[in-house]
Amino acid sequence: MLRGKLPFIAITASLFITSSANSEEIGALFPLSGPNATYGDIFMSGADLAVRHANEDKMLSDDLSIIYEDSQALPQQGVVAMNKLVNVEAVPYVLSAFTGVSKAISTLAQRSQTVAVNGGGVGPDLAELGEYFWNVIPLANNEVGALVRYAVNDLGHKRFVLVYVDDPLGESIQKELEKSLPPLGAELVDAHSIASSAQQFSGVAARVRSANPDMVYVASYGSQQLQIVKQLRDNGVKAQIASYSAFSVPELQQQEEALGSLFTTQSIDWDSEDPITKRFVDDYNAEHGKNPTSYIANYYNAVRVFALLAQDLEEQGKEITGANLLAQRKATDTFKLVGGEVSFQENGTLLAPIQVLEVDGSGSGKVVFVNTAE
Amino acid sequence: MTAYILNLLVLISVYAILSTTLNFIIGYAGIFSLAHAVFFGIGGYTAALVAMHVSPEFFVAIPIAMAAAAGTSLLLALPALRVRGEYFVAASLGLQVLAVTLFSEWKSFTGGIGGVIGIPSVELFGYPVYKPWQFLIISLICLAIIIVIIRTLVHTSFGRSLKAIRDSESAALASGKNITVIKTLSVVLSSSLAAVAGALYAFYMSFINVESFMLDTSVLVMAMVIIGGTATILGPLLGAGLLMLLPSALTYLWFLPQTEIGSIQQIVYGLAMVLLMIFRPGGIVSSHPGGGK
Repeated sequence: MLRGKLPFIAITASLFITSSANSEEIGALFPLSGPNATYGDIFMSGADLAVRHANEDKMLSDDLSIIYEDSQALPQQGVVAMNKLVNVEAVPYVLSAFTGVSKAISTLAQRSQTVAVNGGGVGPDLAELGEYFWNVIPLANNEVGALVRYAVNDLGHKRFVLVYVDDPLGESIQKELEKSLPPLGAELVDAHSIASSAQQFSGVAARVRSANPDMVYVASYGSQQLQIVKQLRDNGVKAQIASYSAFSVPELQQQEEALGSLFTTQSIDWDSEDPITKRFVDDYNAEHGKNPTSYIANYYNAVRVFALLAQDLEEQGKEITGANLLAQRKATDTFKLVGGEVSFQENGTLLAPIQVLEVDGSGSGKVVFVNTAE
Repeated sequence: MTAYILNLLVLISVYAILSTTLNFIIGYAGIFSLAHAVFFGIGGYTAALVAMHVSPEFFVAIPIAMAAAAGTSLLLALPALRVRGEYFVAASLGLQVLAVTLFSEWKSFTGGIGGVIGIPSVELFGYPVYKPWQFLIISLICLAIIIVIIRTLVHTSFGRSLKAIRDSESAALASGKNITVIKTLSVVLSSSLAAVAGALYAFYMSFINVESFMLDTSVLVMAMVIIGGTATILGPLLGAGLLMLLPSALTYLWFLPQTEIGSIQQIVYGLAMVLLMIFRPGGIVSSHPGGGK
C-alpha cells in the first residue's frame, strides 16, 4: 500500500519544501548521474560560481539560485526534467548540455517561451533550434575558419585531408573546409568518414598517406580521436595533425603522437587583468585548487548572461520572463563576460575570438594564433 | 504542475503500449526478446519521415509505421525463431546491437547520431494534435485498442497455441502445432503494435535519435513486464507506471542529492527485480505468486 502512495507523499511534501521565498530561480539540465556525470560536475562548478558572484554583487533584487535536474545526457530524461522546470518550477531560463538533450528540449523551450542555453555542445546544428535556444560557446564551424587561415597563411599548408566522424558535427566541418580552403589558395584533397564506434584506422591511415597532405584535420572526439592520432603516426603519416576544441582534453594533450598538432578553442586569456576574468579565475582557483577550463567559463558565462539581462529588466520594471529575456538580449549589443566583451549573432550563438594552440605536452597547449571574432 | 503530470502520463501510456506488446510475446509465447526497442525505433523513425515528407495524418503515418515494423520483424523473426529459449535472447541481443548501428549510420532514414528534428504535430482528420491532454487521450485510446486486440487474441485458438508453446515447445510440436509460423506471427504482431508506441513517441517529442532506442530501453521495457507481472493485462501497465514514475518521484525527495538520484534509481530497480524473483516471481500482478501460470 505504501509503495503506491509514495509518489503522492513525496510530491505533497516537496510542495512545502522546494518553494523558497525571495529567490530568482533558473534551471539546469545536466547529467548528474550515469557515465557522463563528470561533465555535470564540471558544468555545475562554473554555474555555481556565477551564482555566488551575482549574489555577492547583488545584481538582482532577490537572490539567484539554480534548480538542477538530472538529464543523464539522454533526450527523454531531458524532456521530462525540462517539463518539470518549465511547468512546475516555472523558470524562465534553463542551462542545457549535450546535443541530444538540447535538441529534444528545444521544441518545449520554443512552445513555452523559455530560454535554453547550451555551453557544452559545439555541433553547428545547435544554431538552428529556434530563437529561444542560445549558445554561449562558439560552434565548431567558427573554429575551422580560424585554423585554416593560420595553417595556410602562416604555415603555408596547401593540401588538406579530413578524417571525420559521420555525424552533423563532422559533416559541418567538411562543408566548412570545402568552403574556406579554396579562397585561400588551398584545397581539401580527400575526406574520409568513419563510424562513431570505429577504433581501427590503419586502412584510413594508408589512404591519408597516399594523398600526401600537408595537414590532416581530425574531426572526432573522446577516446576515438586518441586512436586516430596514434594510428596515423604508427602508419607513417608525417603531416601535421589539426582539430577543433575536442583536442583540449588532458588525455590527448599528454599523448606523445599528438605533439605538434594544432587545435582551436574559444580564446580566453586566463592571465588577463580584465576584472571579470580575473575574479573568475582567482575564485575558481581558490575554491578548487586548479585552473578553470573553457567549459567551466561557458557555464559561468551562461549564468552571467541571465544575471545581466535580468538586471536590465528589473531596472526597466519589466517581469523576468523568457520572452522579455529574449527581447533584452536582442536589444543588448555586447556582454562583459569571462574572456572579454562579446556579442550574440542573430541566431543566438555567441561570437567570440578563437585561438589556435599547439599541443606541446604542457597539458593545456601553447597559443600560436588568435583570431578575433568576426 | 498539470502540464508536468500530463507529460508523465503521456510517456507512461507510450511505455504501457510497449510493455503490453512485449508482454504478448514474453508472457504468452515465452519469447524473451531484448530487441523490442528496435521496433519502437522503426515505428518512430518511419512515422517521423512519413509526417515530414508525406502527411502527418494519424491514419497515414501510424499504419505505415506498423507495416514497416511488421515487415522488418518478419524478415528477422524467421531465421531468429529457429532457435529457442536462451538462444533467442542472444539472437535478439545481436539484433538490438545491429539496429543501433544502423540507426546511427543510416543518415537518410534516421538522421544519424544527430537524429530527426522538427517532426510536425500529428493530425487527426486534418486537425493538429499537440497539446499534452489531447495527446494523452490519443495515447490512451491506442493503448485501450491494443489491450483489446491482445486480450481477444489470447482467448482464441492462436492464444492457446502460444501458451502451449510457452509451456512446452516439444509437446506443442508433437501435437501438430506449426511452431515457427505461430511464433513468427506473434513477433510480427507484437512488433507492429510496438511501432504504434514509437510513432506516438516521435510525434510527442518532436525529436528522436538513437539514444531512445538502445539496449537500455529494451531492458527497461522488459523490467516493466517482469516487475508488473507477465501474462497479465494489468501487470505491464503497472510496471510501466511504476518505472516511469519512480525517477520523477525520487527528484521530489528533498533529502536525496540530485547527483545520487540516478544511482539510487538503479539500486531500486535492481533490488525490486531481485526481491520480486525471490518472493513473487510472477510479478506484482500475478494470480500465482509462486510464478506458476
